[in-house]
Amino acid sequence: MSRLSDALLAGTSKPVQIPALLVLEDGTAFYGTACGAEGEAFGEICFNTSLEGYFEVITDPSYAGQIVTMTYPQIGNYGVNLDDAQAEHPALRGLVVRDMCFSPSNWRSELTLPQYLKHEGVVAIEGIDTRALVRHVRDHGAMKAAISTIDTNVENLLAKVRASESILGVNLAKTVSCQSAYMFTTGNLPASKAFALADPAPKKYKVIAYDCGAKRSILEGLVRVGCEVEVVPWNTPAQEVLVSSPDGVFLSNGPGDPDAVIETYRQAELLLGNVPVFGICLGHQMMCKAAGARIEKLRFGHHGGNHPVMNLLSHQTEITAQNHGFNLCYPSLGPLCAELSGGVSHHADDLRFWVERGIAPVVENKRYGKIQLTHVNLNDGTAEGMAFLDIPAFSVQYHPEANPGPTDSHYLFTAFTRLMDQCDNYLDINISQDRLAGWDFKRQGA
Amino acid sequence: MPKRTDIKTILVIGSGPIVIGQACEFDYSGAQACKVLREEGYRVVLVNSNPATIMTDPHMADRTYVEPITAEFVEKVIARERPCALLPTLGGQTALNTAVELAENGVLDRYHVEMIGCDLKAIQRGEDRKLFNECMEDLGIETARSGYAYSVADALSIVEDIGYPVVLRPSYTLGGAGGGIAHNQEELELIVSQGIELSPAKEVLVEESIEGWKEFEMEVVRDKAGNGIIVCSIENLDPMGVHTGDSITVAPAQTLSDVEYQRMRAASLAVLEKIGVETGGSNVQFAVNPNDGRMVIIEMNPRVSRSSALASKATGFPIAKVAARLAVGYTLPEILNDITKATPACFEPSIDYCVVKVPRFAFEKFKDSDDTLTTRMKAVGEVMAIGRTFEEALGKALRSLENGRSGLGVDGHAPAADSKEGYRDLLARPTCDRIVYVGCALRHGWTPQEIHEVTGIDRFFLDKMADIVAVQEALRGIDVEQIDADAFWVAKRHGLSDAQIAFLTGSTERTVRARRKALGVIPAFKTVDTCAAEFASSTAYHYKTYDTAESEIADAPDEQQKPKALILGAGPNRIGQGIEFDYCCVHASYALAEAGFQTIMVNCNPETVSTDYDTSHKLYFEPLTFEDVMDIVEAEKPYGVVATLGGQTPLKLAKALENEGVVLMGTDADAIDLAEDRDSFAALLDNLGIMYPPSGDASTLEEAVHVAATIGYPLLVRPSYVLGGRGMAIVYDATQLKRYMAEAAKVSPDHPVYLDRFLESAIEVDLDCVCDGKDVYIGGVLEHIEEAGIHSGDSACCIPPFTLSDSLVHQMCDIAHRLALSIGVQGLMNVQFAIRDQTVYVIEANPRASRTVPFVSKATGVPLAKVAARVMAGEKLAHMNLPQNALDLEYFAVKEAVMPFGRFPGSDVVLGPEMKSTGEVMGIAPTFPAAYAKTQLAISYGLPLSGNVFISVADRDKRSIVSIARDFVHLGFTLVSTSGTAKTLKACGVPCKVIRKINEGHPNIVDMISQGEIQLIVNTPFGHGARADGYELRLAAVRYGVTYATTIAAAQAFAAAMEVARQDGLDVVALQDLKQW
Repeated sequence: MSRLSDALLAGTSKPVQIPALLVLEDGTAFYGTACGAEGEAFGEICFNTSLEGYFEVITDPSYAGQIVTMTYPQIGNYGVNLDDAQAEHPALRGLVVRDMCFSPSNWRSELTLPQYLKHEGVVAIEGIDTRALVRHVRDHGAMKAAISTIDTNVENLLAKVRASESILGVNLAKTVSCQSAYMFTTGNLPASKAFALADPAPKKYKVIAYDCGAKRSILEGLVRVGCEVEVVPWNTPAQEVLVSSPDGVFLSNGPGDPDAVIETYRQAELLLGNVPVFGICLGHQMMCKAAGARIEKLRFGHHGGNHPVMNLLSHQTEITAQNHGFNLCYPSLGPLCAELSGGVSHHADDLRFWVERGIAPVVENKRYGKIQLTHVNLNDGTAEGMAFLDIPAFSVQYHPEANPGPTDSHYLFTAFTRLMDQCDNYLDINISQDRLAGWDFKRQGA
Repeated sequence: MPKRTDIKTILVIGSGPIVIGQACEFDYSGAQACKVLREEGYRVVLVNSNPATIMTDPHMADRTYVEPITAEFVEKVIARERPCALLPTLGGQTALNTAVELAENGVLDRYHVEMIGCDLKAIQRGEDRKLFNECMEDLGIETARSGYAYSVADALSIVEDIGYPVVLRPSYTLGGAGGGIAHNQEELELIVSQGIELSPAKEVLVEESIEGWKEFEMEVVRDKAGNGIIVCSIENLDPMGVHTGDSITVAPAQTLSDVEYQRMRAASLAVLEKIGVETGGSNVQFAVNPNDGRMVIIEMNPRVSRSSALASKATGFPIAKVAARLAVGYTLPEILNDITKATPACFEPSIDYCVVKVPRFAFEKFKDSDDTLTTRMKAVGEVMAIGRTFEEALGKALRSLENGRSGLGVDGHAPAADSKEGYRDLLARPTCDRIVYVGCALRHGWTPQEIHEVTGIDRFFLDKMADIVAVQEALRGIDVEQIDADAFWVAKRHGLSDAQIAFLTGSTERTVRARRKALGVIPAFKTVDTCAAEFASSTAYHYKTYDTAESEIADAPDEQQKPKALILGAGPNRIGQGIEFDYCCVHASYALAEAGFQTIMVNCNPETVSTDYDTSHKLYFEPLTFEDVMDIVEAEKPYGVVATLGGQTPLKLAKALENEGVVLMGTDADAIDLAEDRDSFAALLDNLGIMYPPSGDASTLEEAVHVAATIGYPLLVRPSYVLGGRGMAIVYDATQLKRYMAEAAKVSPDHPVYLDRFLESAIEVDLDCVCDGKDVYIGGVLEHIEEAGIHSGDSACCIPPFTLSDSLVHQMCDIAHRLALSIGVQGLMNVQFAIRDQTVYVIEANPRASRTVPFVSKATGVPLAKVAARVMAGEKLAHMNLPQNALDLEYFAVKEAVMPFGRFPGSDVVLGPEMKSTGEVMGIAPTFPAAYAKTQLAISYGLPLSGNVFISVADRDKRSIVSIARDFVHLGFTLVSTSGTAKTLKACGVPCKVIRKINEGHPNIVDMISQGEIQLIVNTPFGHGARADGYELRLAAVRYGVTYATTIAAAQAFAAAMEVARQDGLDVVALQDLKQW
């Protein structure tokens, strides 16, 4: 930055410009300026396409190990309300934006996003061409990267990036899981969101939630449909859980490579069939692993709030929040049961095959019997959800709790309560009616 | 679910003439719908009275009826074409209202026509406030507290409960016409009484005021399987209180946190479901209290709208196209995303840029009207700009407006107050200039918080504007040679134009540009792709931004070998430059593509077909300024630029572009100058021995008076380089001339004023032709109904001429021929003639597309713009096999102008040399009166067939009114006159009642009008700006919706038209049954 450019910015909301550098593993470099904490951060570069909800993204524990690029260019516009945080502290490594807002405006805002980032020590860079970056990542796949305000020499930083640890094969879940069990109840619901949300249902179910980096809004979602939730660490032995005879067990979302989260899917193996189980994201992958399925890394993950997912049971589309880099390889669950799959006996690579035919196919799994494919991503034909037909369990790859994102899939929380109530057709719920159930349109804030 | 096979023929209703609140966005949506429905194999029948649309091009539908959009005429079309289904949701409120009428009066049932895309009950629930409020109550969504008034007394009692201020909305009116905010009893009584008159249901909603709240709009699409998506959220910069069409708006919403946004999203989807919008697009508007998040729903429209056109352009998601497919049975997941061609349309677009829309106003045309922005829309057009930040997009939008400004202030044109305090009123009152005053106030020491308290504009926007102003002020006075690359990047990313930087640094735009380029500060071009680059997309829809890393404008593989033609669009709709020019640009794009060019469109108007991403090979959504166009030229390196089809906007860039070495396709800049420059043009006419009214020019008042004395009064006076007759007037004496000079100097200070002898009572004629340098093709000769002196854009005209002899027509064709060749026209030319005493005078010749091109093309079946584009591409007229007898038509086609006076209370409705109309309609019939009658029906949706005709004319018209008056009597009307005219009528044996003038006490003529006792008014004024009785009278006519004629010629045409209408001899005609080239 030149003296004149600093002078031009001197009267604006921007702070004094501190040069920063973003370097990708393949040598691509972007110069920008610091807009969070100063320092150096390493992680896997990824992006999120949500137009709003940047704070929920930043605090989502599933981003552990990653440097997140927001595709919407102006971030921080409505500030930060700490009640919207998905975890006590952010787990991402760094943040990349086109333009950071230092003068936010919203009645709920408590502090600016840069203030929050600084306070939490999150290194962030602004002023770079995020669209070019996203196109690069899209075309070349996810890769290691670094942001630095300390060392803005490309060669130096590139060498450090190449030497940094990959998140492949790393168990990141244990880094964001709680250390010991705790209760999450109506008392934990944030007051500042009450203006928009319906009152929670009366407490009816006892649920134990495995915390592999659970988003707070998932726990809130469970409480709102009438669950009293005991949150337990990612590796809590299944026997301990079963001993306390909960109505259901929930397996949470979490960061990184599911293959590395061995202790959790080993517990899932023991839980499935013995208690109603519901899994989201990493939790879903844990159930897949428990069933012996193969998980693949997506070329570039799903990170955004606008992915269409077809519910093969209701034939309705849900616009969903997504955040995952790994995905179930559906055929690896087992061979198709042709008689329950419209007579089809050969697996299709692209699962939109089933969407076109309006069929929810069923496989015969060696360990747990029949498993039905319930949800398919319409953008790329990947698996998004499954229901075990012979045992009480179901899971989705995407995020029904939203936060951020659309709430079309709120019904899955309701479905979990129906599963615990032993309804046969627990997934048969009118989506649009249920979408309204979580909201209150008439209230206002204090 | 696949498409329906049980329906074969679909009737689509358009939106009719361009009026305020309903503009060419419906040409865009209608054209998209027709295209899609035909692609799907349906037979499409279209009714639309607006000839200037792409939609009414004969190839867009199987059967095209340019007929009045009334239940009566649509029924005739239904009877003739027997459609299986009616799609009413793509033609705005006009189409929806007509569809409701056809459903309610049983026509649809009688002919077994199914309404698709929306049903009657849904329309009613969406439009009827009572039903709507009940639905919202069921959903638990709050509406503003309110009640219905059928009288002023009702309204007063409602206000007792909810208190002032209250918002008043008459039911079922277009664009909120007749609505307003009342702060006290006086205002309440005025607005309610007017609103009840205007409302077809005679009711007015009285509502709690939520003025000052944040305003949001959600664009929603839903299918019959119950899938719903939000295409786009829009946040208004102007808070509640200003009609959303008059507000600066920003997409996506900027100041909503996720929980607030998702709540609004869930509510929006629920609203569509509850109202019963089975398929299609709708918008839902909300107000949010900025202090506590309380959310109130304002309204929803169960159809595509202006904002859905905006949302389509803002996101790349083609709402109308998708809505049309949904209407015939598809579901969202079955439709492909048009942009990515790989993902389904069932998703919510993610955008990685900021979009700002700014409305364009025309208050300068309506001098005495109130320019305060209210809940009643007054904008005549809009611009949209895309940038990576709000700052960048705002700067672009403000320089797109075609009002001489170059961005947010600092361009030498920004108004200023004397003191800091002087801004208070300028900020408090919402006007079209308020955004500029915000910039000025920030410069004069107002803080964003202080401005927020006065304007209610959210701090987010004000803080961003404060940043822009801070950068501007830090740049002020710096030598342009001192500006380095980093500083240029900062300035550019804050939306500053080269022109603004030049103003701040005391330099010139060319110098700034040269310096900037030398430093390597060159913009990147990004792509609108619906998905924030998550997926690859092949659609070349671009915008410019000051990002360093990457441009995305590579040519498609199959286009690489083609020469590129850059077509400059027409910019925002405004009076004098409307949809006609967009029509021409679109035709040029089609024709040049056929001729083997890669076509590149540049425009900033979101309402148009030209800015549809699939009209041209590439689309640049950019301002039409020298800087922005040159940036594109340098990036694309086109073979040539088309500047003569988009009206004045691109034309005035022609010279500057040519100076930079850009090749202008078609007529070159020198030829344009030759025709525009009075002296050289007069010399040319002298040379060719062509008559023209004596003329002169003057730069000062003294000169003007002197020139006037030589030429003689009356005079037509105008500033140089104008379109739409801006600043034009007829002056009858030296006093009027002096007043004009004082006002006109403000219009265009650098250019002289022209004075032409005004040929009173002459017949005016327009001629459109195409010249290829060798041959001239006469496209059409249009005889005006109003005499010379009424702006040609406001005058009704008829093709073929109905009173002119063949020899006169031949003379005019011959003159046009010689002129076109002498000027060196390569493309379109329009010549205006005046004929007096069988002598042909040339008034002006414009070597560019004229407003009448689409009308002429429809009337003759020869698409002139297309022909012109092919000429520009090098083809010869002789090889095009054009019809030789284009002037020999079986039908008469009449074009009539549509006036917006109802929107501008207080302004005079007299027609003059300054254009005031917003749009036009066309009537086609075997006789002139029948065609004229159709145009009147198309505008007023009814012709008086009996009752009282009020006649009061200027002295010079007294002789000619007698025979017309006799015709009215003959038709069974009773005549009512003021004493002067009555004297003439009685003397000639025409019976009439005498009524008091306004200044003669009560009951007078205005009393009669207000009591609904007058069905037609004939009132001709004398001179310009006459503020006599006639003014009050015409105001009353507008207020009470009484049909009026302000010229003798129009009165005559009215009489003839009413005779035809009474005989019900008006049959419908499809364009496809006329001659087509």
